[in-house]
Amino acid sequence: MIELNNISKSYRTDTIETLALQHMNLSVPAGEFLSIMGPSGCGKSTLLNIMGLIDEPSEGTVVLAGREVTDYNGSKVARFRNEQLGFIFQSFHLINDLSVVDNVELPLLYRKLGGKERRRLALEALARVGLSNRATHFPNQLSGGQKQRVAIARAIVGKPNIILADEPTGNLDSHMGGEIMDILTRLNKDLGTTIVMVTHDERMAKRTHRLVRLSDGERVS
Amino acid sequence: MLSHLIKLMWNKRRANGLIFLEIILAFIVLFGVYAFAFYNYDRYSSPLGFSYENSIGLRLDIDDDMDSLAVLGLQERIVREVRTVPGVEAVSFLGPVNPFGGNNWGTGNDDNGFQLFTRMLFADEHFAETMELKFREGRWFEKRDDNAKYPPIVVNGKFMDEYYPNAETLLDSIIILSGDRQVIGVVEDFKYASNFAENEPLTFYPQSGFYSGDRPPFEQMIIRTAPGQTAAVEEPIYNLVTALTKNTDVVIWNMAEDRIKANRPVVIPLVILLIISTFLLINIALGLFGVLFTQINRRRAEIGLRKAMGATPGEVTAQFVGEILIITVAGLLLGTFFAVQVPLLELLPIPPKFFYFGIVAAIATILLIVTVCALLPSRQAARLHPALVLHEE
Ligand SMILES: Nc1ncnc2c1ncn2[C@@H]1O[C@H](COP(=O)(O)OP(=O)(O)OP(=O)(O)O)[C@@H](O)[C@H]1O
Ligand SMILES: [Mg+2]
Repeated sequence: MIELNNISKSYRTDTIETLALQHMNLSVPAGEFLSIMGPSGCGKSTLLNIMGLIDEPSEGTVVLAGREVTDYNGSKVARFRNEQLGFIFQSFHLINDLSVVDNVELPLLYRKLGGKERRRLALEALARVGLSNRATHFPNQLSGGQKQRVAIARAIVGKPNIILADEPTGNLDSHMGGEIMDILTRLNKDLGTTIVMVTHDERMAKRTHRLVRLSDGERVS
Repeated sequence: MLSHLIKLMWNKRRANGLIFLEIILAFIVLFGVYAFAFYNYDRYSSPLGFSYENSIGLRLDIDDDMDSLAVLGLQERIVREVRTVPGVEAVSFLGPVNPFGGNNWGTGNDDNGFQLFTRMLFADEHFAETMELKFREGRWFEKRDDNAKYPPIVVNGKFMDEYYPNAETLLDSIIILSGDRQVIGVVEDFKYASNFAENEPLTFYPQSGFYSGDRPPFEQMIIRTAPGQTAAVEEPIYNLVTALTKNTDVVIWNMAEDRIKANRPVVIPLVILLIISTFLLINIALGLFGVLFTQINRRRAEIGLRKAMGATPGEVTAQFVGEILIITVAGLLLGTFFAVQVPLLELLPIPPKFFYFGIVAAIATILLIVTVCALLPSRQAARLHPALVLHEE
């Protein structure tokens, strides 16, 4: 499903060059629930961004669904992101001027879907994360955990084949975190969704199929 | 997508209030300027109906003590002798109203079974030739008309179209204008105040229909010269006329210059308005540009997010252009609501069609400017790399 071949990523600023990833090889078969762990700054988010085609590797190739990715800014890659990928960002990235349910609808806006159908799917996704009663709230009226759940609802609303989750339980208490893990596990089991999840929590990692550890931009296990 | 954008703009209505207001104000100003410009252009495009390019005007003073026969004799002599000045092609006397002179004379009545109003112009038998008038039908005054049963008049096309729209011909019709008068000719066009004057019904009277009782004889002249000769003939004509009238009270002017002066009361405000509105538009364009750049900059994370969620670059561009167009359309709707009150309530004595033109043109201009100004920042937004901007937060 996802294949990273010898991926390196460096960020160049005026003064320094940061090597976020070095010669990374990783293959995620379809249907796998993979977790990624590693200290802060080791390149986990960078790795996820490259898998999700929102960042371009400096070196190496990404093969997604059997196709090597060459263009990162066209409309083809946009379609692919829209239909195949669901993102849960480390810092939610909700749009404050849109209500919760409108935020959840966002990925569906870029599909050919009627407004009613969009609304129905969004409410369904909200129900799955237990936020039906907050649909018309605005993001700044929500707690951190609630925001996290909105972000999850938004990631799953389009029923993507791959979910890339950057610390989806990072802002939640263990009870809430457990519930989120339940949701992801169910998605993985019921729909066969491939999930790559970054986490700092060993207990969460234990609930996945496989764990990959990073350190300083390199894979250590 | 549209409903999504409308919702988004509604939720951000406070932030967009100023743009909304700016659009309304710009629309109202443009609407006024366009309506005024269209109206005047329409007037300008109706022909004057006479030649002025190579003509001069002249005012002289005829001795009040002369009897009318002597006056007519003097006028005839002046015409004859001025005609012989090299370069002069036609010479004519006319009454107190002269083209571009800033004065006018009118009369009206309802004696013909309807309300009639006409401007009046008084001229001798050489006037049509001097002014190179074109006739729709009939002819100009001649000497023999002085003995006609009814005093003759010539009217302009507007007179006929306005009051006798269904008549095949006006020739020989008797029209009551302080007494019965017979139409002997209809000229195609004639408006004399300026290019921007309204095309009004006009009636020409010969000197015999004017010079009587306490009214003075014709003391103004129009002299048409060969092309480029207007300046050259001024001095010989001045000398000739002062000698013949034994009076140095002779004023000569150039009709082409007079036309420009007569147009000025419209041209100057029009030019000022156009300059002001051009600056206004530039200002609005630059303002919009700046506002859109900062707004879009503040929303970099949102752009990254939308791209990560699958928005194509084209969809990002369309979103931002669409957003500003929604605000613009809302402003234009409200502005149009105000603007249509002007023709609907007949607030100004200008035909409604010019206001509707003004509305359409102002809408088109503003939509164009807004779209052009939105395109550049929006396309820049569409090129942002999602990971980069998402990382910034
Ligand atoms: N856009 C960027 N510009 C410059 N440097 C960057 C950029 N994004 C990431 N980096 C650098 O790359 C390295 C890896 O960053 P990354 O965000 O992938 O870490 P991470 O493992 O997700 O950390 P955390 O657990 O704190 O989220 C860091 O040193 C970071 O400073
Ligand atoms: Mg991270």
